[in-house]
Amino acid sequence: MNLFIQVIITGILMGGIYALVALGWTLIYKCSGVLNLAMGELTLIGAYVCLTFYMWGFPFLLALLCTVIIGFILGLITERIFLDKLIGEPVLTVIMVTVGLSFFFRGIVEFLFGTDTVIFSPPVFPMKPIDIGGIIIGQVYLWSFFAAIALLLIFVAFFQFTRWGLAMQATADDEMAALSLGVSARFVYATAWGIAFIAAGVGGALLGNINGLNISVGYLGLLVLPAVVLGGLNSIPGAIVGGIIIGVLQNLSGAYLDRFTPGGVKEIAPFIFMVIILLYKPYGLWGWERIERV
Amino acid sequence: MQYLPCGIYHEYYQQDHAWWQTRFVIGKMILLGIFIFYILPFWGGLYWVGVATLTIYTIMGALGVQLLIGYCGQVTLGHAAFIAVGAYTATLLTLQLHLPYLLSMFIGGLVAGLWSVLFGLPSAKVKGFYLIMTSLAAQFVTVDFILTQYVSQIGGRGQAFSLPPGSITIGPLVLDSDLKVYFLGAVLTILLTMGLANLLRSKVGRAWIAIRDNDIAAETMGINIITYKLMAFFVAGFIGGIAGAFWVSTLAALSPEHFQWFWSLWLVGVILIGGVGSIYGTIFGSLFMVLIMEGLKFIIIPLTPVYPALTMKFLFLKEATFGLAICLFLIYEPNGLAYRWWQIKNYFNLWPFSY
Repeated sequence: MNLFIQVIITGILMGGIYALVALGWTLIYKCSGVLNLAMGELTLIGAYVCLTFYMWGFPFLLALLCTVIIGFILGLITERIFLDKLIGEPVLTVIMVTVGLSFFFRGIVEFLFGTDTVIFSPPVFPMKPIDIGGIIIGQVYLWSFFAAIALLLIFVAFFQFTRWGLAMQATADDEMAALSLGVSARFVYATAWGIAFIAAGVGGALLGNINGLNISVGYLGLLVLPAVVLGGLNSIPGAIVGGIIIGVLQNLSGAYLDRFTPGGVKEIAPFIFMVIILLYKPYGLWGWERIERV
Repeated sequence: MQYLPCGIYHEYYQQDHAWWQTRFVIGKMILLGIFIFYILPFWGGLYWVGVATLTIYTIMGALGVQLLIGYCGQVTLGHAAFIAVGAYTATLLTLQLHLPYLLSMFIGGLVAGLWSVLFGLPSAKVKGFYLIMTSLAAQFVTVDFILTQYVSQIGGRGQAFSLPPGSITIGPLVLDSDLKVYFLGAVLTILLTMGLANLLRSKVGRAWIAIRDNDIAAETMGINIITYKLMAFFVAGFIGGIAGAFWVSTLAALSPEHFQWFWSLWLVGVILIGGVGSIYGTIFGSLFMVLIMEGLKFIIIPLTPVYPALTMKFLFLKEATFGLAICLFLIYEPNGLAYRWWQIKNYFNLWPFSY
């Protein structure tokens, strides 16, 4: 029983980070309708930028802040150079541009930073695990979770209470109406990409703290896809809940199913869940069902 | 749609349906045949034969992707999984059961087709982005789990199936040189391309195109879209399986490394650059991608004395170039190379009265 609770809690803590990255994904989809497959590479970029600043001797929080700023600028540039020209193009075109971007980013990251695993040294979070009534939690997980939740709350506040956030909500809801009310759609698209870069970058920096940083962190970023499919593509609460559920399911299958197979279940379990979800509930938990007419 | 030169009139339906409608085209095809089967292999040297073999493999792999994306509208990002299934089936049959290579290649194609149908089943219910997600799952489940963890254990050969020289034979002929592999590949590619092109002109092909253009409208016209979609998945998987089984003959050892997600995306990139919905597009895209990567090598090699780390990091540069090429093509040339080719050809066909 202890193992079960332990696994669930670790899953929730991991899921918080997935939720953060999934939020960035959903935001892009809601605001501009772009299905972004480059999310994993965005986490990679954020992680490496943060690591570089940390290695230069910045305190971790300052490094994270620099990551946020650089991520935002990179997001704006990416949107302006690549995605801006694709408004109104077919879905496949846009998806493949994001795939192309993912190769481009990964190639650049590998070129600049190499493929060896690097760790944050000295470790950012204390190594000693916390013991709560027999359940042992690594401090890295705990602090990462808190950081992710804090950032999620900041984002939610941003959407609810600031002028820019409201403009983004309006565009996501009805682009035509927003345009006629004087909201600049191009500004909203660019901001959405900037925020997605921030979310992914911070998520990547936190993930890099847990197991060290190499190219496979980009693969973890790919796990947002099952999360958003589960939550429904255009639902922000769905992304958060989906991220946490995927984290839990992944850890559960790692703990309980791994002994029946030669290994590797943990990596592919989210994708199997995703197929099952797609077969029974293709629009996820809270996604909009689309009715199609000829 | 292609325009005929001025002054060509058809009197019979056979003429209208013919593959090659004018003497000029027949002449071009004969020249192409001479080039493929004589000039390139015997005068070109081993380096170019190697490049051509890689191109041929890319064409065969991309044909299935072209069928699914370009003709049936079912976007797949996991085609390498089916290529891998074909390759593994053929290898296992050859190594374990000592079946003839061509037979095991055929069976490999069939198994890959059925595997593809299995992962095509969700297409009955979902489409668009959700279908992309299922194909993604197909990739990870097949290659990273089933092949890596289970299939690689068969026969106790370790992670990679090593293929001792001389293990791949067609009758008395041992496929041991690059040249023989090239000839096998060229014949297979021509057969598959002709077969697919013919299939696309038949009732089945037209049903696929109708589904691509609008699946609900196609259903109202009486096309059973589930059957036809699954048929498309089967044919695409079959072609992929044959491609995989062919690629085995060039390898010294088979491992899941050859069929990573990168390769699936590469194939989709190939057809996007070549042109979606065009057999020419597949071929042009493959040629372009393979040649541009070889060209990149020629640019990098003179730079290595100045900056030695480049040789180590060539792979990463290749990835970045590939990504950038896809982005730029989609933004600035969304119809692909095939459209450019069509324009050039029609310009000459209609010359001097091009309006």
